[in-house]
Amino acid sequence: MHSREEVVIGNQAIARGLVEAGLEIAAAYPGTPSSEILPGVVYFRDMEGSKIHTEWSTNELCAFEVAFGAAAYGGARAACFMKQVGLNVAFPALMRSREKSIEGGLVIVSCDDPGPQSSQTEQDTRLIATLFGIPVFDPSSPAEAADVAYHALNWSFENKVPVIIRSTHRVSHARESVPLYGPGTRRVAFREGHVAGRGRKLGIVASGMSCSLVYDVMEELGASEEVSLYKVLKVYPVDEALTGFVDSMERVLVVEETDQVIEALIGDAKKVMGRRDGTVPSAGEITYDIVRDILSRVLAGAGTDRRPFVPDGGIEEALSHVAVVPRPPKLCPGCPHRASFFAMQYLWPDTIYPGDIGCYTLGISQGAVDTCLDMGAGVTLAEGFYDAFNQDGKLVPILASIGDSTFLHACMAPLYDAVRNRKRFILVIMDNSTTAMTGMQPTPQSGVTVDGTRTRSVAIEDIVRGLGVNYVRVVDPYDVPAMIGTINEAFGRVREEALPAVIIARRECLLLVKGAAKPSAYPADIERDCIGCKSCLKTFDCPAMSFDEVSKKILIDDSLCTNCGICYYACPVQPQGKALKAEKKAGRPGAAAPGNP
Amino acid sequence: MRHEIICAGIGGRGVLLASTILIEAAIGSGLKAVASDEYGMSQRGGSVVSLVKVGDFASPFIGRENGGILLAFEESEFYKALLFLKKGGLALVNTRAAELPPSIAGLLEKREITCRLIDADGIARQTGMFQSANMALLGFFAAFGIAPFTKEVLEETIRSRVPEKFLAKNLEVFGKGFDAAMKMGNAGDRRTDMV
Repeated sequence: MHSREEVVIGNQAIARGLVEAGLEIAAAYPGTPSSEILPGVVYFRDMEGSKIHTEWSTNELCAFEVAFGAAAYGGARAACFMKQVGLNVAFPALMRSREKSIEGGLVIVSCDDPGPQSSQTEQDTRLIATLFGIPVFDPSSPAEAADVAYHALNWSFENKVPVIIRSTHRVSHARESVPLYGPGTRRVAFREGHVAGRGRKLGIVASGMSCSLVYDVMEELGASEEVSLYKVLKVYPVDEALTGFVDSMERVLVVEETDQVIEALIGDAKKVMGRRDGTVPSAGEITYDIVRDILSRVLAGAGTDRRPFVPDGGIEEALSHVAVVPRPPKLCPGCPHRASFFAMQYLWPDTIYPGDIGCYTLGISQGAVDTCLDMGAGVTLAEGFYDAFNQDGKLVPILASIGDSTFLHACMAPLYDAVRNRKRFILVIMDNSTTAMTGMQPTPQSGVTVDGTRTRSVAIEDIVRGLGVNYVRVVDPYDVPAMIGTINEAFGRVREEALPAVIIARRECLLLVKGAAKPSAYPADIERDCIGCKSCLKTFDCPAMSFDEVSKKILIDDSLCTNCGICYYACPVQPQGKALKAEKKAGRPGAAAPGNP
Repeated sequence: MRHEIICAGIGGRGVLLASTILIEAAIGSGLKAVASDEYGMSQRGGSVVSLVKVGDFASPFIGRENGGILLAFEESEFYKALLFLKKGGLALVNTRAAELPPSIAGLLEKREITCRLIDADGIARQTGMFQSANMALLGFFAAFGIAPFTKEVLEETIRSRVPEKFLAKNLEVFGKGFDAAMKMGNAGDRRTDMV
């Protein structure tokens, strides 16, 4: 029997299951929605007094190989954690590892992001696992994820092959009570197979959170008895009972995220409804309302809709009369990245801005990010753009931006590549001393490990110089004139010496320092000064600012504003903004002397 | 007992803490519960929705017009979340406004939704704790006495969740939210079995 329970999110539950199964080595690179697993291992390790080595790796390939080395040759019980696109980074090692017999045990947790909510693409880890014959589990709740993690590590140890656990953000970030067992004593009783209903007309096959949704929606629609539900937990290798279930049903509906995996494994195109025939949307997250809609249609088609859901259109009608603030994703108020993007955009509003993956992808709303391909592509795309223009005999400013964690993850080889091949572009490394987007994990530069112990820190500027870049400057992005001047100067150097130039825009993430950016920036007198031109909204795009349609002036939300005062540079009335405007009018943007040369 | 609760607000204002307190209060009372934290990319100032389901549910998600209780920590987010509130549901809204726009008021009446407005930001600010408007709204909610979310149970959960340093102030704000509902009267007139 378990002695106690704890309310945890799915990622912590996975950590718990692994710790109970005797995990010895854990490595990860943070990425939403996987980031809380490794800190969860530290938490439960300390709770149980277990001996587990934990580390934030510099990227997913490093994490995978550390875990694989420990498991395959060291005989350890090891695990690595990443998001779904992180698995791509670990792909070369994954491909070879599956054919290797490992001495210990290896669990790979790859968290998918249906939607996607916080990724550049949807991608189904189960599809990769199935294509290449790697066992993969798809838990449907946090409590089940704990059991799956426990079972998977033991199973891998016994069978000597790596096992993948695929979570989705809805499982990873759901919260419920999870039983805690002592190490090695968890009692796992999986609920899979034909779990509900007795009817033969329609059978539903579902896995993961989609299965939990189907279960709830069937209850709501009063279809729990007549529709049979088959829950898939181990997606590959597929259980033979699934074939029997499909054979016994007149029609079968498959509901799964995010790709066709179970549907393809079943294969019976005549009988099966799902993504292939358009019954289930081909992309995007499967929500409660989507499942209800699908089931309503399918039940109506079978003539068995008992309690159809009819939406009240009056709600939309009433809402059309009120102003709703849209609140799209934005950089936080006071974010140093916003100041950097403002400076970049000021100099060359229409130039080329290769971007990368992180909070700073949001610079797109300030017109200072044009691309978002994958980690590290900010640098290599800049190279490609340079070559394309260079062949036509043109030199245009190319201003690439990446974050500090991303630089270390994927940009060192690309930057060396750019030096060696003499590419002319400016790289702005936005160094906020943390991996902010995924929840403030320490970067290698911070000199802190996942459990807070000190380690050797590495300065980005030293790496950049080591890679052969001559022009390296560190600027505080809050010093907007210095930022503008430095970017301008950097372009001069790029032109002269045919090498990339690097500017490190260094200021701590506001979530890290917690609190006001500046204690006493002088308050703006909006009543007196604001002319309602909205230029700050366009070039600065701060969530603390909105436009008041009544007064025709900017409205500042005091509870969000951090007093950073950088928006004054975006205001044509304030002295800071006036000076920038005058410089530009005189045809000398960035003429002011750059900061710390 | 089954509850489907929507907590809607903006990032950095304690919506997730409020929903965590609700689920832990339910579980602490011996009930089955599951919650989902939905949040967008931006950490501060973006829309945040967190869902809590109490009872025998498999998923933590709430369908359109299924939620019984809507705790809105910001007025504009209240409008966005209205689609998820069922006929006859309860909505508590943090706003400085004394009344809602006519189209919304009409809709709420038609859908038999009990709606109460509370200046939770104002209460929090009076106490010098601007960031704890979430506690004022929770206190306000406690006054409705919907089991298991009674004043006693929520207070106890707050004690176990909020760091010692902020606890006294948070409980003060919570208490003021509770008192505000009592002063308005008719807070307790909702039957607990309604939702």
